[in-house]
Amino acid sequence: MYITQHFWELLFQGIRLGSLYALIAIGYTMVYGVLQLINFAHSEVFMSGALGGVFMLTALVGNKGKVPSGFAAFEYTALALVAGAAVGALVAYSLERVAYRPLRIRHAPKLVYLITAIGASIFLYNVAGKLFGRNNLQVPESFHSGKVFVLPGSGAAGPRTVKSLDLLIILAAVAMMIALDLVINRTKLGAGIRAVAQDTETAQLMGVDVNKVISRTFLIGGLLGGIGGVLYGMFHAVTYTMGFVPGIKAFTAAVLGGIGNVRGAMLGGLLLGIVESFGQAQFHLQWVDVVAFVVLVGVLLIRPTGILGERTGRTA
Amino acid sequence: MRTINRVRAGAVVVAGVLALSACAGSSSKAGGSSGGSSSTSSAAGSSSASSSSSSSGSNSGKPTLEIGVQGPLSGDNQALGLNIEWGVKLAIKQANDKGDLPFQLAIKEADDQGDQSKGADAANLLIQDQKVIGSVGPAFSGPTAASGKLYSDAGLVAVSPSATRPSLTSSGYKTFYRVVANDSVQGPAAADYMAKVLKATKAFVVDDKSQYGTGLSTAIVAQLKKDGVQVETDSAPAKTQDYSQIASKVASSGAQAMYYAGYYSDAGVFAKALKSAGYTGKMISGDGSKDPNFITTAGADAAEGWQFSCPCLDAGKDPKYADFASGYKALANADPGTYSIEGYDAANVIISVLKGLGTATPTRQQVADGVAKVDYQGLSKEIKFTPTGDIAGSSIYAYEIKSGVISLIGDISKMPGIGS
Repeated sequence: MYITQHFWELLFQGIRLGSLYALIAIGYTMVYGVLQLINFAHSEVFMSGALGGVFMLTALVGNKGKVPSGFAAFEYTALALVAGAAVGALVAYSLERVAYRPLRIRHAPKLVYLITAIGASIFLYNVAGKLFGRNNLQVPESFHSGKVFVLPGSGAAGPRTVKSLDLLIILAAVAMMIALDLVINRTKLGAGIRAVAQDTETAQLMGVDVNKVISRTFLIGGLLGGIGGVLYGMFHAVTYTMGFVPGIKAFTAAVLGGIGNVRGAMLGGLLLGIVESFGQAQFHLQWVDVVAFVVLVGVLLIRPTGILGERTGRTA
Repeated sequence: MRTINRVRAGAVVVAGVLALSACAGSSSKAGGSSGGSSSTSSAAGSSSASSSSSSSGSNSGKPTLEIGVQGPLSGDNQALGLNIEWGVKLAIKQANDKGDLPFQLAIKEADDQGDQSKGADAANLLIQDQKVIGSVGPAFSGPTAASGKLYSDAGLVAVSPSATRPSLTSSGYKTFYRVVANDSVQGPAAADYMAKVLKATKAFVVDDKSQYGTGLSTAIVAQLKKDGVQVETDSAPAKTQDYSQIASKVASSGAQAMYYAGYYSDAGVFAKALKSAGYTGKMISGDGSKDPNFITTAGADAAEGWQFSCPCLDAGKDPKYADFASGYKALANADPGTYSIEGYDAANVIISVLKGLGTATPTRQQVADGVAKVDYQGLSKEIKFTPTGDIAGSSIYAYEIKSGVISLIGDISKMPGIGS
């Protein structure tokens, strides 16, 4: 059977895609945690991060069109990731300042946030399309031949090699997730974020600067989303509409894991990636979304708040 | 401070409303196009069908008639639509400059983004505008399937430069014509090319589940089997997120040739995945992928060596097309691309019919009747239609990416081993 023959390969591909979903899902879930708002414009944060990374790479390689191999590839990629993270964080931060904070100050109803989020999303991707063209952008190639290790496999397919690029995607994503988990659970900022998520008013009374915490939440979400965008762009196309599908999938992952819960988003992302990978192999590529959403509905039927979702009644 | 915040909030609301209204407004109105007033289309990529009309002529007192263009003028596969549009613009400009028509011609855009679900809206935009007397398009097969009946019922002639799904001319659309060979010609030619020129004994065919992709892949697979080639097939719907699995399937299949039937923005991502999966066989795609953007998306390394079958003819360096190429470049500020010539030809077919009618008030019916009987020497070929709307006889060309440039290999039917 295809699945058993290719088990490790499928698992690996699932983790690669899933870790990207997880990176983006964190942005949705953190913002939901502090604001109870689904930030639909987060997919555009992801897209701008990818653009930032591509422009950085393009500037670095100049007209050679290719990233040199060897250690330089890691250097270039690291710089691209930094650029992507910076752009993603900047866009997410400005989004909060320009689009959401004015509404919050006026205590706008929740529906207004939702419309604003959708409007901001449409506005952002059209601006990107206007500025950078509506065709796919060229992503300088990196890690051309790097074969790192071989995955066991049987049958006609034989063993599959794992490329350094694939490994880099997973390692970068996992490293970011561990770092984030430490920030949330061990630092003062993390305590602030958790406090605001639990009870905004009480947190305020206890001396937490809520606005600052919310801004930083957007910054962190944008940073991770931007990095996710750069990594995604390395094996996919980079264009102004690229955020839409991964955005929807990451939102799904966040709900699957329990929206508002950071570890839940990581788990949900990985799970969704793996489910898609095996679902695709077992059924067909065109059934990927069906499989993914059947799993989502199934999980929500049993646990309406998601796998690691909080107790119901907490969210306002 | 409070006023600043208010201004900010206001700006956000205005931006949001603008973005949303750009979305909704276009489908409801057929763009009041009065003579020379030009409504610049909003850049909203999300709008279902945006329109703009502009007349290139001066105020010569002649009435204005419009030729519509329906195709992906924005969105993922816009390059193909824009290639066609500039071809049409060039044809219209030349006709106006000549000045022997009893009216001024203008172009009217109808953007369907190459998306089947937006085909009907875009077609209605043209149909409801009484100034439109003929349409070049729809460019893609999906939107054509969605709008062929509308054109037919309205009696508005639609001459497509590029919609190649075979069934489009057997669906009973009375006013649909196309100036390129359909995929029941391209498919077998591509299959023969793989079997007899590339000498593949085992092939893998992947389609994108679109009207175009499935039509083409069905035709290819049938002919490959006839040629005694072992075939494996699979499909990856457009906008697939992760091609790595299907790429490893192709790589491990042992096929010497792989054909992708779909459009360039997906083909480019697929090419990346194939390279990363280590596939070493020949990779071929069709007219929908033959665009420089394929190379941009895939990256030079992954794109190198890909081949294309296409009923289209590139202007290239051939001196025969030098006039066309320089005129096009002056207008579009870009070199002609895939289907630029065909867009130009399709527009000229309509213009030649209008010239033949010689009246300042041609009806849509007269134009449709004229196109049915047309025998026009186009730039790419002699254009003459069969009763169902297909072009009578046509060639399929093979192209290859060499050092990052899509170069013509030749006419497949004239290659050694073919037709035997």
